[in-house]
Amino acid sequence: MFPDRLTLFVSVAAFGLLLLVLEMVRRRALAEKYSLLWLLMAGAILVLALARPALDRIAPVLGIYYAPSALFVAGFVGLLVILLYFSAVITQLTRQNRIAAQQLGILQARIETLENALAQAPNDD
Amino acid sequence: MGRSGAMNVSEDTKTLVIIPAYNEEESLARVVAGVRAAVPGADVVVINDGSHDRTPLIAEHAGATVVSLPYNLGIGAAMQTGFMLAQAGGYQVAVQVDGDGQHDPGEIGVLLERLLAGEADVVVGSRYLEKRGYITPWLRMLGIKILAGYVSTLAGQRFSDTTSGFRASNRRALQLCAMNYPADYPEPESLLAFRKMGLGVLEVAVSMNKRYGGQSSITPFWSAYYMIKVILAVSILLLRRAPRRGESTYVP
Repeated sequence: MFPDRLTLFVSVAAFGLLLLVLEMVRRRALAEKYSLLWLLMAGAILVLALARPALDRIAPVLGIYYAPSALFVAGFVGLLVILLYFSAVITQLTRQNRIAAQQLGILQARIETLENALAQAPNDD
Repeated sequence: MGRSGAMNVSEDTKTLVIIPAYNEEESLARVVAGVRAAVPGADVVVINDGSHDRTPLIAEHAGATVVSLPYNLGIGAAMQTGFMLAQAGGYQVAVQVDGDGQHDPGEIGVLLERLLAGEADVVVGSRYLEKRGYITPWLRMLGIKILAGYVSTLAGQRFSDTTSGFRASNRRALQLCAMNYPADYPEPESLLAFRKMGLGVLEVAVSMNKRYGGQSSITPFWSAYYMIKVILAVSILLLRRAPRRGESTYVP
């Protein structure tokens, strides 16, 4: 049976995403840590798209009577999870960044104080 | 109505006056000079929060120690930097005075007197405890009233001025602030945090000057945003057990 157009489109897109993410990780443009969620999502959508009988059975359970819509729902939920995760990562980075900046400011002031004291101290040599 | 005469009480109590400043070149010289005259025994540090003007130069010329943050971190993080210094330097008392000149340094003595008498762990100068001719636009007054009412209810203590940044803290309070201090608009949130940690907070009446220079960053839109954010932050604070420990503690 030849797959319908939507299944074909979604499979190709998911597969493309999978390849893109893997290639970015290979080039170190994306850390493994942050690629995992993307790979999981792309993989899940690909599997759902190809396993059409499974999708046809799962969708009605969720109250979705046009099965391919379930693909979009899955993608949407996956994106939400990824975005929330990234917001948490940004929060953590902001905090670490703030602490680094604070300590930089304090250390800089201490170095200047020390340098001034050193410049004023009588030279023993 | 600030008390005249220098406050000598800090000679034997190691005191750090923390002045957070973001682009305050117009007012800062006067603020630092006023503070040094009011509490000659205290050390004065200006936290330059990534200013684009001559704030750090002016602070240094006025005789303050300057700690410059590499970029603007916001008032909360700037204040926390000051508390980190106070903690690491073994200071017994930390005083916060805004860099824009709206606080009268002559009244630091009023705060210190009550703090050193052991009446509270944190003494806050309030603009609204007594009528002193300071006029606030009605919209902002409404926001201030709502915020004060909300924070007071949660804290179980009546506060008239939850956004006042004119404060004196003892060692216990400043250590807490060095460890954990709210980020953007820290004043109302920190009041509640103090109460949750079992610290005593006392408001005393102070006068308020018009800003010497610069422009207040508060517009109606940002006031509303500020109020909603603070209400959210304060509400969430209730759900937390205690401030997180071991975070951003600076040990030299």
